Amino acid sequence: MRRRALLGATASLALPAGPARAQEALRLGLTPVFSSSDVVLLRLLEGYLGRATGLPVETVKRRTYQEITLMLLTGQLDAAWICGFPYVQYRPQLALVAVPVYRGAPLYQSYLIANRRRGLVADLADLEGGIHAFSDPDSNSGWLVTAALLRERGHQPASFFAHTIFTYGHRNVVRAVGSGLADSGSVDGYVFDVLAAVEPALGAGLAVVRRSELLGFPPIACRDVDREQPRVQALARALLEMTDAPGGSPVLAALRLDGFTAGSDALFDGIADKAALVATDTGGRA
Amino acid sequence: MTMAARLDPRAWHLTVKIPLLVAGLMVALGGLASQLVLARLDRSHEEQVSRLATAYLEGARSAVTPFVERRDVWETFDVLDRLEKRYGGLDILVTFVGLPEGAILAASDPMQLRAFAAVPAEWQGRFVEGGPLLIDAAAERAWARRGLDAGGGEIGQIFAEIDIGQLQAERRNVAWTLILGNAAVTLALATLGLAVVRRMLRPLDLLSREVARLRDGKAPHERAIPRLRQPEFRILFDRFAEMADAVSEREQLAARLAREERLAQLGRLASGMAHEVNNPLGGMLTAVDTLKRHGQDTAVRADGLALLERGLEGVRDVVRAALLTWREPETGRPLTSQAFEDIRFLIQHEVTRRRLVLAWRNALPALVAIDSGPVRQAALNLMLNACRAAPVGGRVEVEAWLANGVLQIRVVDSGPGLPPRVRERFSRLDEEPPAPSEGGLGVWATVRLARRQGGRFLLSEEGASPTVIVLLLPTGPRAVA
Repeated sequence: MRRRALLGATASLALPAGPARAQEALRLGLTPVFSSSDVVLLRLLEGYLGRATGLPVETVKRRTYQEITLMLLTGQLDAAWICGFPYVQYRPQLALVAVPVYRGAPLYQSYLIANRRRGLVADLADLEGGIHAFSDPDSNSGWLVTAALLRERGHQPASFFAHTIFTYGHRNVVRAVGSGLADSGSVDGYVFDVLAAVEPALGAGLAVVRRSELLGFPPIACRDVDREQPRVQALARALLEMTDAPGGSPVLAALRLDGFTAGSDALFDGIADKAALVATDTGGRA
Repeated sequence: MTMAARLDPRAWHLTVKIPLLVAGLMVALGGLASQLVLARLDRSHEEQVSRLATAYLEGARSAVTPFVERRDVWETFDVLDRLEKRYGGLDILVTFVGLPEGAILAASDPMQLRAFAAVPAEWQGRFVEGGPLLIDAAAERAWARRGLDAGGGEIGQIFAEIDIGQLQAERRNVAWTLILGNAAVTLALATLGLAVVRRMLRPLDLLSREVARLRDGKAPHERAIPRLRQPEFRILFDRFAEMADAVSEREQLAARLAREERLAQLGRLASGMAHEVNNPLGGMLTAVDTLKRHGQDTAVRADGLALLERGLEGVRDVVRAALLTWREPETGRPLTSQAFEDIRFLIQHEVTRRRLVLAWRNALPALVAIDSGPVRQAALNLMLNACRAAPVGGRVEVEAWLANGVLQIRVVDSGPGLPPRVRERFSRLDEEPPAPSEGGLGVWATVRLARRQGGRFLLSEEGASPTVIVLLLPTGPRAVA
């Protein structure tokens, strides 16, 4: 709670929106939900968005979700591809720009994965006492879903698992579990499925123990005060029209997405419920 | 020479020993050089492993220290995993970070070394205090350790296990290349050295053969003595040529002396023979006179004819023995029992003159495989000397037999014994006897003859009487020239 208050107070000190930045680059923040190691994909995305918006586009990457969220809230970014968990945490200050469409819907799942070499794992209960890898403490699929699941069963991560580690990347979670550093992990199902297609060796020997219910796909968000800004509007159009726009298909193919949709806050109600469940146990933790 | 004697290096020819010694020294030197280089190679290999391990761990230490300080398991693992995959200098099997309390923070191979588990005791026990690198060449493994420090205190240790199999294989390849190359070069040099030294010693070999010819009484090949450039060999060959000339002169002198002795002996024999022929002539002429006057008497006629017959037979034997001695060639004919028997007639005059008792026993077979001329000459000399040494009215014994392939001629006289200088001459058969400066030519000729036939003498003790001289001569096809 104290962190949310601090971030909210900091956000209020941000510069107001205005036409003074119209000639500056469009700064788009990327969290580790995006496979930041794919430079070619980044160049494709920057190129398409630059042509579609008519603005120079600069992608900004940081190690943690918290850093990107803070940069977004303080106006250092025009928009950011964030996780649904930070979105519901700062919903009053944030607005949706677009939501990716994956397998026909703006939804995805969180996977609970385990290393088969550590033994046969059939259920979450089999993971008790092991080493578990989370992605980011602000990740829905990489932390919140598993924490809420444990809470529903009367457990907490710190006591259920012998040790927990944060890898700050979904691909890193897959690496951690695949190498045996962790016995199990919580990972973005979309990222896991893409990795299984492009880097099958990375996921060799891993089993998906549990798939969560369908939850709102990590959205592209902006500050609520910036939603009417021309640059943000241009970004939204570029994303929503990517399916049919010239140069958009290769980007979508690389992202393995169907397209983008406007979306609505209701998509993230499930995540909000989990956040509320976990918040009651973490005291002041947002 | 027995097989054992042939294998004794001390009996080998100098032209074999020296080249082999040179080759052996070169092989030993090559082996020593190889040992030194291999020892240096081992040290160099260990230094290389140490340097590469140090470079790896220093790099890893720098990269992981910030993460170890805040005990970030994932970042530590990520660094170790990436470093290990990208480091091309060594084949790193596993790297891990251990915390001061003895737990593993993270390892590049978590399946082998689990995070949060205790550092295995075998890892702790490998390193003695202050020893950062341990190499087990047989297992083809090396283990390295470095401390991780931050803010002046130790925050952990980084360990690595390295597979040095490839380095060991490279070292073995280098070692074998070195050994085989060195061996090939050493062998080539040794062979070359062997050939060169043998060639350099060829004059010695030649000299050795020519000395052997000289020893056997043959003149050196004049064409065999080369014109040499090496001053040491040239001087040696000049000296040899001078020695060969001196030996040749001595041989000629000895041969002349031997002929003169033989002629002198024949002269004495002729004198004795004249007496032996003259002695029965008086009796025979008397018998002829008696036959003229009283020949019609049967008994007188029979006695007279018998006396004539005996006398003529005696003359015949003496003349035949003398003729045989005069006409006989020096070499080439085997000795017969009859030829030895005839010597008795040649000494008869001496025996009669000194009124000696002659005990004669000839037990030789009909044919003895030994050169007849030299043997009869030597035996005749011994017998004549015995007759002269025995006192008037004394006794001379002559015995000859063949035993185990050795011809033995035993001559005994009842004289006072051999003078010391004569005993010495009979004893020194290992070298060519020098021609005597005064008298004694018969003994000299006898010893010379015996030496050349490969024989030896057995003498009675000094001062003992009677004097016994036994001449032993080996027989066989080679004893007949």
